[in-house]
Amino acid sequence: MSIYETRLAATAQHLRDEGLDALVALNFGQNSFLESHAVFVLAGVRPIGESAVVVDRDGGSTLIVTPAWDGERAAALSRTARTVGADDLPAALEKALAARPIDPRKTLTVGLSTLGLDLARRVEAALGGKARADDNYARKLARIRAPEELAAARKATEIAERGYEHFLKFVRRGLREFELAAELYCFMKGLGAEDNFLLLSASQHNLAVTAAGRRLLDVGDIILSEITPCYQGQFAQICRTTVIGETTKVQRDKYALLQEAMRRGQAAAVPGASVREVTNAMDDCLRAAGYGDYCRPPYMRVRGHGLGITSDLPGDLTVDSDGRLEDGMVFVMHPNQYIPETGYLMCGEPVVITSVGAQALSSRMAELDSIAV
Amino acid sequence: MRTMHPSIMIGSYGWEQDRVPRDEFQIRLDALHALMDRQGLAAVLVYGDAREHAALAWFANFIPRMRWAMALFPRKGEPRLLTSMSPRDVPAMRQMTWIPDVMSGWNWESAFDPWLAKLGGEDPAGIGSIGFDLMRPPLMQSLQKSLGNRFRLQAVDGEVLALRSTRPRELSLIREACKVVEAGAVTMRNAWRGGLGNEAAALEGERVARAMAAQDVRTLVSFDRGRTLSPFRGSFDARAEPFLGYIAVKHMGYWAELFVSEADQAGKPAGAAKAGLSALLQAFETGASAGVLHRRAIDALGPSPLHPVLGGSVGRRMGVSPAEGGELGAGSMHTLVHGHVYGLHVGTADEQSGAIASAMIMLSAAGYDVLVRSPDM
Repeated sequence: MSIYETRLAATAQHLRDEGLDALVALNFGQNSFLESHAVFVLAGVRPIGESAVVVDRDGGSTLIVTPAWDGERAAALSRTARTVGADDLPAALEKALAARPIDPRKTLTVGLSTLGLDLARRVEAALGGKARADDNYARKLARIRAPEELAAARKATEIAERGYEHFLKFVRRGLREFELAAELYCFMKGLGAEDNFLLLSASQHNLAVTAAGRRLLDVGDIILSEITPCYQGQFAQICRTTVIGETTKVQRDKYALLQEAMRRGQAAAVPGASVREVTNAMDDCLRAAGYGDYCRPPYMRVRGHGLGITSDLPGDLTVDSDGRLEDGMVFVMHPNQYIPETGYLMCGEPVVITSVGAQALSSRMAELDSIAV
Repeated sequence: MRTMHPSIMIGSYGWEQDRVPRDEFQIRLDALHALMDRQGLAAVLVYGDAREHAALAWFANFIPRMRWAMALFPRKGEPRLLTSMSPRDVPAMRQMTWIPDVMSGWNWESAFDPWLAKLGGEDPAGIGSIGFDLMRPPLMQSLQKSLGNRFRLQAVDGEVLALRSTRPRELSLIREACKVVEAGAVTMRNAWRGGLGNEAAALEGERVARAMAAQDVRTLVSFDRGRTLSPFRGSFDARAEPFLGYIAVKHMGYWAELFVSEADQAGKPAGAAKAGLSALLQAFETGASAGVLHRRAIDALGPSPLHPVLGGSVGRRMGVSPAEGGELGAGSMHTLVHGHVYGLHVGTADEQSGAIASAMIMLSAAGYDVLVRSPDM
């Protein structure tokens, strides 16, 4: 039984336990690497357009995808009992609901608030305007990666690392940022990455990482990269810092600080630990070095975050989070930080929570790399 | 064509002032001001997200790589751009628009409410909205809370779409986008002819387009001899003949697209596709009925049905969006207006195979220009 069939069965059980008739999970055709994709979580399919999964209390399940011509592909991939290709999602949803004895008042929606207004209104009308919402259902259901998902996350990490190896060979002065990003993107796609949340930018003194622009790379530039391929629905992110030319002692010293923060964060991230504790473990390292005033935006954003499209839990790693870590959670940990002497530096790995802490999925931890000129 | 939307658009989206200078946006803004005057509106709010942002790009030059953005254009006073990015990211967002006042939309009340207060006046006022059908309900709730009873929203999507005729600078940019898509399509075809698998050939086309500064590239390929199309599968060795692929590129903010149909021997679907596109082009002129054009193309296909991936349409307007409207479908009632660019596509599929021929056309008062067409079509 695949994880998707397990989740469909768990959902049917949840409906029976709660005295509900059906669950309708929805997606707007977005693949956000920071959000759970409720349709993918249940069906194992990334549809092209707007989509829905209907699960009923007896275990029946229907995937509806748009456009209609994507139905054949979706049916081959989906773990639902039925798959329907349609050009009008609300109309197809209404038909699917009518085929079963479902009381709209006993229907749970997931992801309705992520749809555009027009589509949301039409879906609500199809549900008789009486369904109740639980937009956290899918992200909670999928918060622990199944073995096959963890294997896919490891493969995504391997693609990211091979991509970065290629980056180190390909980058040179005179190249534009977007050219480097394009090469990196296509290289990783050739390794099987179906998507890639790729940020890549350079400066002699970075304030943050951004998407690639037209800047010509030159000696002394510090290239920041968030390399985030997605393999079979599992995003994995590595954060790297690369200097064109020789690194300076101050750069190396400050980068070592981030590496130490990463190690402390990993050690603190055991099952049951709070996200706040893990964040503080990383921040304490920077505070001890005199950078306490910089452990807040805009000098950093978060110390890591969950990875869509399966589940974005445990959410952002911040001191404001009440979240708790569980064995088997996968997310990216990155004590990326602006340092006045060097600018913004990046250091991060995808990790899985184990009894001894956060184990990196990557084979090589981030180093301050340099490109010989 | 519907394609898989990426988690982020990775191309370079900076405001290229030499290509679309500030005065170009002033002309567009003047047209928006005139609309506000006609409709008695105090402001227009232009919403867009990563998937659909045509009006936002046209008025503000801003394209959200992810999430959403909203440009606030008052009739009197200065515009503001809100982006769904963290405050830390705002400096980078400023590089992508001519609007100097850019703020994070995450702090809604401090970003939107003070701007709204500047609209002044005590009487109820109208505010135009564009793209609000795409807005997520929670954001709409925040917006309505801010507007209260003093402002009423009025959708002006249709009126604004009518304003957006293709301007000369836009046509120049679309021509460049067509060159990029042609390079990608020819590479795709040659790579397949050279023995690569279907998806590997598509990736080569994408690589070439991205190296030419395409901001976004979407590809689809067929694994079943042209009967259907599929987004990325990672099956690089799989090779099916005949070949059917699709490539769309966004370059300098403008879309262009082509289908690539290739076969060692010309089959029935390929011949029908060529005949259909040819018939469509013969009848293509300013004032022509969209429904009649569709019928011409369908008639030329003979007994073969229109290819299912085309969703019943043989063309539509293209520009800052890959689907600007103006569908050429069976029930289309509108007539063609010169000054617009169309993506045309005609094809068919049977039990064994399928093919689609396509072209990008600029319609003028005197006729039309073929900007680019499918290789070997």
